[in-house]
Amino acid sequence: MFSKLRMPIVIAVVGAMSVAGSAYAQETAKIAFIGPLTGGNSAAGIGGRNSAQVAIDQANANPDSKYKYELVALDDECKPNVGIQVATRAATSRDIVAGVTHYCSAVGIAAVDVYHRFQLPVIVWGAILPAITYGNDYAEIHRVNGSMLDENRVSARFLTEMGYKKWVVIYDTTDYGKGHLEIFKKMLADTDGEILGEFGVGSDQQDFTAELLKVKQIEPQIVLFAGLTPLGVRIRSQMDRLGLDIQFAGVSGIMSVSYLDALGETSEGTISFHNGAPFEALPGGKAFVEAYDAEGFDDPAEPYGPFAYAATKIIIDAVEEVGPDRAAVNKAISATKDLPTIVGDITFDDHGQNSVDSTKYVAQDGKWVRWEDSEYASGARKLKGQ
Amino acid sequence: MVIFVEYAFSGLMLGIMYSLVAVGFTLFFGVLNVINFSHGDVLAVGSFSALIAYVGLQAVGLDLPILCFIAVALAAFVVTGLLGAAIGGGFVVPMRNAPPINVLLMTMMIGTVLREVIRLGYPNGSNPKAFPALLPDTAIEVGSVFIRLDSVILLGLGLAVVALLDQFIRRTKFGLAIRAVAQDGETAQIIGIDFKQTILLTFAIGSGLAGLAGVMHGVYYREVNFSVGLLLGVIGFSAAIIGGLGRIWGAVLGGFVFAALQTLWVILFPDLSGYRDVFAFAMVIVVMTIWPTGMMAEMRSERV
Amino acid sequence: MKNTNIILASILVVIGVPVVRTIVETENQVTLIGGLVVLVAAAIALTHVPRLRAATASLGGWGEGNFALLAAGGVAVALSMFEDHFSLLMLATVLIYALAAMGLTLQFGYGGVINFAGAAFFGVGGYTAAVMSDLPVPSLIVLACGGVIAAVAGALLILPILRTAGHYAALITIAFGLLFQDFLEVNEALGGPQGLKVEAMELAGWSFNNSLAIGSFQASFFLNYALLALALLIVAMIFLNRINRSWIGLSLDMVREDETAASAFGIDTSRKRIMAFFLGNGIIGVAGALYAMMQNFIAPNNFGFGESLQLIAIVILGGLGNLWGIIPATIIIMVAPEKFQEFGEYRILIFSLIIVLILRFSPSGLFPRTMRSYSHDLERGQ
Repeated sequence: MFSKLRMPIVIAVVGAMSVAGSAYAQETAKIAFIGPLTGGNSAAGIGGRNSAQVAIDQANANPDSKYKYELVALDDECKPNVGIQVATRAATSRDIVAGVTHYCSAVGIAAVDVYHRFQLPVIVWGAILPAITYGNDYAEIHRVNGSMLDENRVSARFLTEMGYKKWVVIYDTTDYGKGHLEIFKKMLADTDGEILGEFGVGSDQQDFTAELLKVKQIEPQIVLFAGLTPLGVRIRSQMDRLGLDIQFAGVSGIMSVSYLDALGETSEGTISFHNGAPFEALPGGKAFVEAYDAEGFDDPAEPYGPFAYAATKIIIDAVEEVGPDRAAVNKAISATKDLPTIVGDITFDDHGQNSVDSTKYVAQDGKWVRWEDSEYASGARKLKGQ
Repeated sequence: MVIFVEYAFSGLMLGIMYSLVAVGFTLFFGVLNVINFSHGDVLAVGSFSALIAYVGLQAVGLDLPILCFIAVALAAFVVTGLLGAAIGGGFVVPMRNAPPINVLLMTMMIGTVLREVIRLGYPNGSNPKAFPALLPDTAIEVGSVFIRLDSVILLGLGLAVVALLDQFIRRTKFGLAIRAVAQDGETAQIIGIDFKQTILLTFAIGSGLAGLAGVMHGVYYREVNFSVGLLLGVIGFSAAIIGGLGRIWGAVLGGFVFAALQTLWVILFPDLSGYRDVFAFAMVIVVMTIWPTGMMAEMRSERV
Repeated sequence: MKNTNIILASILVVIGVPVVRTIVETENQVTLIGGLVVLVAAAIALTHVPRLRAATASLGGWGEGNFALLAAGGVAVALSMFEDHFSLLMLATVLIYALAAMGLTLQFGYGGVINFAGAAFFGVGGYTAAVMSDLPVPSLIVLACGGVIAAVAGALLILPILRTAGHYAALITIAFGLLFQDFLEVNEALGGPQGLKVEAMELAGWSFNNSLAIGSFQASFFLNYALLALALLIVAMIFLNRINRSWIGLSLDMVREDETAASAFGIDTSRKRIMAFFLGNGIIGVAGALYAMMQNFIAPNNFGFGESLQLIAIVILGGLGNLWGIIPATIIIMVAPEKFQEFGEYRILIFSLIIVLILRFSPSGLFPRTMRSYSHDLERGQ
């Protein structure tokens, strides 16, 4: 309980001192955070919200800050209609300067028109559908995390080069899984790999034994799962139950600590990918982890938390530079170039997209280890079918 | 042939879990003419209370898997039984004169409350949780058929539980009281049966079964999450209805039919596996059109 | 008799307009809770204080003059928000959902046909609008088509619904609702899980995405949708009111309360149920088409089981079959979760707890429909 209180107290004291020092009250700039805080994807949403809060609290604790910052966190439930509603709310409240928005792609794509119409600069922190940035010419839309394109290019190339030529893809039938499937198929077409079977599964499906028994008959060399952690966990554990001794790989949606915790030993050797380099190794990464822990949140930051943090920081920097004016802030954000952050250097191209190199990971002894640093790469351990 | 056996087996596993949920729906309907839609989420509560019990046992150093399994199952049964009785006594019984659809809506909302409480109350509850392997999971390979021992045990246990319930209702005094209330609540009261107590008992038993199903679910899939009840509730309800409300063996039949529909679709049309629930629910509508009160027709004189 | 009604109605509008405005607009939790308490207290007063109850009992018999009052009140609320995009969006959302709830009321408030797939028919209307976006068809026709296609889609279920009753019929619509959402997600032809863009409403060559301007004031373009939704809602209410007061309404009551007796009296019960189901889905479809045009975007997970429940919750809280109860009930169901944004991840928990408690202590909803009474004057004389 005390640890929960400590940070706000520090902030309050520092804030009070800085107010007293500057002799006049600071102007408050509000920043919206939008993501799923309830429902199946809420783990990611809450992690993102907390991470954005860390950036806000750091700025407020900094005596050099010209403004006070306030995070307005809104829940989009991962539903497009609710997303449009809260996007309108954020975009039309005059004291909100910019937004850190959306984890779910269907919501992100639905809301871009709203931001454009009301000219609210936003930085997408999690949704990875390419069309969110590339499907329009809206100057207001930026994205710090990579799109699906890069990740699937890396996974198709890397794994076929490892000798996995015969694939089965299991995807969830939401925009996330399906989007990955489409792009992965395109990327795989450039290699000598082939897809022997595709299985669409519901996002709340529990039992996959029927699909997996079919996979058993097909006898692929590798199973790729395109979807999020909960389903990834179920599929991997049911493969084990059915005695499917086939290499398993998943898109970035499964690369979370929860995946490892929920599977235990079964997770060993799972391949996954993530946008950007491991943030602990990047400048500010450690400080972020410490600050996050110091706030005493109940939930972890999750893989996309650092992106929400980086996005919030970019907005804060822009406000510090040009003041809380939407048009000016938007210009400042768009001009971001080679900015070192905890998710790597960020540069927005003319669609507001940051290009990110995907990193390959493998689950080793209950941790996600960068492929190049793992015992699998060094040959001390072997993936299945190698 | 080999693969057929494995399909059949996985279908049976699915079926027994659906059945255990469906039986609860059928029992509640039998005694009170209501649908308790929070039932699926009561199952999730069962899974999570088993998980908590397991962590507790670990803390006191009890580490014998089989004993753990029994203790954990008992904990889930008791917790969900009490929860079910509380829902029944506190919310459903007082609503019994309201339109049935209002009870349906209210119990669905209770389900949402339970789901959210798990998500927000359990540490990091929005993510899936590992469930310990409490039963020996040695692989049995007969020819090239691959089945794990714990699956076989779970299937046997599930069937035994249903059979036990059937005997309980047929042979014991409590069972007699339940049957009397199911047939005619008022007359049952006149001849001296404690109406409220019987209802609460029925809710406790039905919900306790969901708790057991929650444990089975955890042991079988090795994973539990806060939203398991959402779809399982709807499927359990469907199974109870296609079997014929108010009949235990009808619910069991419904459970297996639903599982068979899902499995069959994937076998026949693997490329269209995404449509499996579309197919299963479409077949539910067809079944209902052919047998408007379920495959084992509801008979007033013979409920429960 | 007429005079007291008009006075009562005027009081409702005079008090109601600011209350509704406050609830929709406020960002302050205290004001919001205050507003909701006033609303619930009013509901309890109207239904539990004998004198007021007697007065509200005659609401069903209100003349159409009262709809004019509702229209005036609605326009007043909308105009008072003039430039405020978000409040108007919420207001329009409330009005559109109230319109859809009218369809459900016709189905099971009047006809006793349970429909747990409201969101699916709402979605059929929306998808119709999306598909017709590219066609050079006037928007009003698109709205009508949304209704017609939804009604036709409902025809798929008519045979199973006629053959079943009670919970069995409920399951059929639940199954249909789930099946519909799954189908949209898996199927690529209708945009798949990513959804579709929808063209904005256009009336007589004038796009709703343009704003109304009065003098130098620029209205929010959502005002257009709010006013159109209000108009459609009032038309639907008048229609339902007329049905209710006609012989059809009387026979629907009979079909709902006792089907056997109804058929014994020579009422063709199947035909009445089909009619209620068909027309109800039509109304829901129109609402769905308008909603899609306002949002400019639709996706399958807008039309799931949870959304169907929302619609049902509106109808039940409003007091099954009570037209006037629907409006405050829609405000509670649609606006409260939005206002609970401040509670972050706890908002759905709080919202569902409130619904459970309301139902627990007022099992027939906030504004229970009163029985048809042919002795108003007698009652009033007492």
